Amino acid sequence: MNPHPPGSAGNSAKLPAVPVQFDRSWYDDLEAKLNKGGPWDDWKLFNLAGQAEAASLVTSFEDMLCLKHLPEEQVTPLPHQTETARKVLFEMRGRAILADEVGLGKTIEAGLILKEYIVRGLVRKVLILVPASLVLQWVRELNQKFAIPAVAQKKEYSWQNDVVVASMDTAKRDPHKEILLGNEYDMVIVDEAHKLKNKKTTNYQFMLKLRKKYCLLLTATPVQNDLSELFNLITLLKPGQLGGQNDFASNFVFDKRIPKNESQLKGELAKIMIRNRRGDGELEFTKRIVKNIHVELSPEEMKLYDGVTSFVKDQYHAAGGDLNSMLSLVTLQREVCSSRDAVFVTLVNLSKKLAPDSPLRDKIWDLVGIIKTIKANSKAEKAMELIRGMDDKVIVFTEYRATQEYLLNYFRDRNMTAVPYRGGMNRGKKDWMMDLFRGRAQVMIATEAGGEGINLQFCHQMINFDLPWNPMRVEQRIGRVHRLGQQNDVQIYNLSTKGTIEEHILNLLHEKINMFEMVIGQLDVILERFEKSDSLEKSLYKILLESGSNDEIASRVDSLGQSLHSIRTELDESGENSAQNSRLQQLLEVDEA
Amino acid sequence: MTMTQDQIRQYVLTYLETTECQFLEKSPYHVTVKLSPRADKDLTNRPYYWGFIERTGVEPETMTFSFIFDAERHKQLEDQKASSQREPSPQEDTILGRHFGAVRPLPILGPGRIQREEMHFGSPRLKQIFAAARQGGRSVYLFEDPGPRQRSTLLPAAYEPWLGVRLKVEFSCDMKREELHFIGVSLRTGQIDTEFHTRVDGKILVPRMPENMHISPTRLSLDQGRQLVEQTINEKVQACDTTWADEARERLNEELALIDAYYKDLLQDPDEERKQAVMEQYESRRGEIRWQYEPRIVVSALGSGIFHLRSPLGTDIDRSR
Repeated sequence: MNPHPPGSAGNSAKLPAVPVQFDRSWYDDLEAKLNKGGPWDDWKLFNLAGQAEAASLVTSFEDMLCLKHLPEEQVTPLPHQTETARKVLFEMRGRAILADEVGLGKTIEAGLILKEYIVRGLVRKVLILVPASLVLQWVRELNQKFAIPAVAQKKEYSWQNDVVVASMDTAKRDPHKEILLGNEYDMVIVDEAHKLKNKKTTNYQFMLKLRKKYCLLLTATPVQNDLSELFNLITLLKPGQLGGQNDFASNFVFDKRIPKNESQLKGELAKIMIRNRRGDGELEFTKRIVKNIHVELSPEEMKLYDGVTSFVKDQYHAAGGDLNSMLSLVTLQREVCSSRDAVFVTLVNLSKKLAPDSPLRDKIWDLVGIIKTIKANSKAEKAMELIRGMDDKVIVFTEYRATQEYLLNYFRDRNMTAVPYRGGMNRGKKDWMMDLFRGRAQVMIATEAGGEGINLQFCHQMINFDLPWNPMRVEQRIGRVHRLGQQNDVQIYNLSTKGTIEEHILNLLHEKINMFEMVIGQLDVILERFEKSDSLEKSLYKILLESGSNDEIASRVDSLGQSLHSIRTELDESGENSAQNSRLQQLLEVDEA
Repeated sequence: MTMTQDQIRQYVLTYLETTECQFLEKSPYHVTVKLSPRADKDLTNRPYYWGFIERTGVEPETMTFSFIFDAERHKQLEDQKASSQREPSPQEDTILGRHFGAVRPLPILGPGRIQREEMHFGSPRLKQIFAAARQGGRSVYLFEDPGPRQRSTLLPAAYEPWLGVRLKVEFSCDMKREELHFIGVSLRTGQIDTEFHTRVDGKILVPRMPENMHISPTRLSLDQGRQLVEQTINEKVQACDTTWADEARERLNEELALIDAYYKDLLQDPDEERKQAVMEQYESRRGEIRWQYEPRIVVSALGSGIFHLRSPLGTDIDRSR
């Protein structure tokens, strides 16, 4: 597409006329047909061809055409997204860093830009490099929202397609690397481009060698620790924009974390980077309103909880405190806070694995005996009451399949339509469930929150039937509902059972790190710092298994909360006060000129 | 530029008629057709099937399509139809039904299946029809219909052969603008018409030479005709505003200067091997930038043909003499 310009005009100053190339294939075609006496084409089709061409004609250099080419109803770009695309196209000339904060739609912006170039016939061959987990999501979005025929790279021959989405890790390896470096790309897009900050990595070296006309780098964190990260990113796009390495160091760097000549540097950055922030103009998110609901367990349920707890603890001590072999047992402990059904399934599976004469079997059957005595699920009753009371669409999240099944039954028996949603469903079924929820069901019961695709802006009530112990999963759940386009404040109900570990966890997440009301994107940073040694989930397991009493659990969870809290305060301060980080971050803020 | 839904409808209908598809249903908001073999080959993307049909000589089974031009209105129409026709069927209590409420009907596969397509500007199916029209309408050989009176008169009348070429001019740098031109050259007189569409619009053109007509001898060869077309378009293009190209070159030079500044020091590397690597990078960056910004103009033809037009009365004198 758009072959390289002929000849070498180079830097020569005075302007020769722009060279005109004539494509003469029509002439050969016509002459051959005249000699053979046909076959001739239809006059009507000749005219239709003309109309098609007239309708798709690019009539002006600077006019966004792509919006007219988008499938209606699939996507309506927000004003900041269209504005960003316009800037990249007409001011930055197709080479830019898109650095919006998380959740503002960098993918949409990139899609708009790509579409515009395709519509104008300036781009045909496209390479999109993203983390492996996002490949399919990109392919889907480009196809559905932009009608761009993107394919996921699967085999070597996939590279022949015009628009290919692949993971960086695949692309930089042989034999793929050779193929890609031998090619020329009209456009290259890199998602999560902060992985290109270090010059020495193979990622970076690979990108340097790749030949490209237009290039977009997407990242929410273009600079984190060191100014040179920014320099390296920009060098991939436009070497020299900040001068040579030495110029940059002497002009703009005071210390690796402290820039100098900031306003000038900002000016240079504005030529190549766009960062939309939450809270700029229209991009205000609605509030999150959290209500914790403490559910009193029935005596039978409490008995089961205690039974499971002591069973798990015994096993832990018997195994000599080895945490890794205990994971399935800890699951039991979590499931017992959700529903007896979930515990039952795990117990049965556990007993199947045991030797027929194992003494554990008896213990397990004792527990099953307790399960049988439980007649009602206190949480389900509470949830039902809540849902009846709100008379509005609501999504219920649980971690367990068995609980999901139970709730579906429970609600149906009480004349409430609920639809399921889980990770194992294929794409079509997921979409169908979404449609049903939107159209005719009041309740959706979901086990999966991760992965794109469930966008539930039309619903603003959610119930956490049980809480994941991994705060990121909680955040993912909330993110399904609390996202751009949500018009209402989001109501979050957390169900927790009194006198159980769940109470402590909720206390930790809610009181200590206040995660339910946290700014999107903040949690990752806190966890990243905290989990240098062990994941939060694992720390919780340990507390649970090693503590002798409820009070001990409480105090240890409390100290965990303290350390999370102090990380948070530290981060907040560094965001606002500390000279170092703030000056780095301030670079990314645009002054209203 | 774009098309309204109504224009799209007109366009698709014309295409379907021209390719002789069989119309099964038609409303202002949709049309259902059984494709003709030609349209099936254009649109359904199944070359193996058609290869098989052609080799074995079996009767082909073409696909049936519903093209929807106004999804909302069409749905209203369908709903009306459905509610007036169907008596309420008892709610079936299937297992799925118990789970999810009403169950969607399963899609029908195989023959009898009607593929549903919503047509809007930019939809892949419409683009495919565009492409089919371009592919199927590249070169024509046509005669102006002289009307019924000519057949009964005694004097044969003459046709003037014209070479008509529809051209697209692309002005590109990192951005792009396009123009369409339809240029005609009389192969008898060398007369040039830069608005050839106004000359042929409204005339009835037929593929076979009507009776009682003859073609005036040509003076210009086809190649001379081509040269005149190219010369004409070249003049037009050169007369265009060149600000865009000047600005593009300015941007190009700025970018090249930046690159030079960046690599200046690096190219002084005493290590020969490293220097070589840097040199390569430098050249490829410069190449990319020129590829991106350097202005260029490409002229290509979308279609061409020989048009035998009746000389307007009274001008049938050879003016070039």
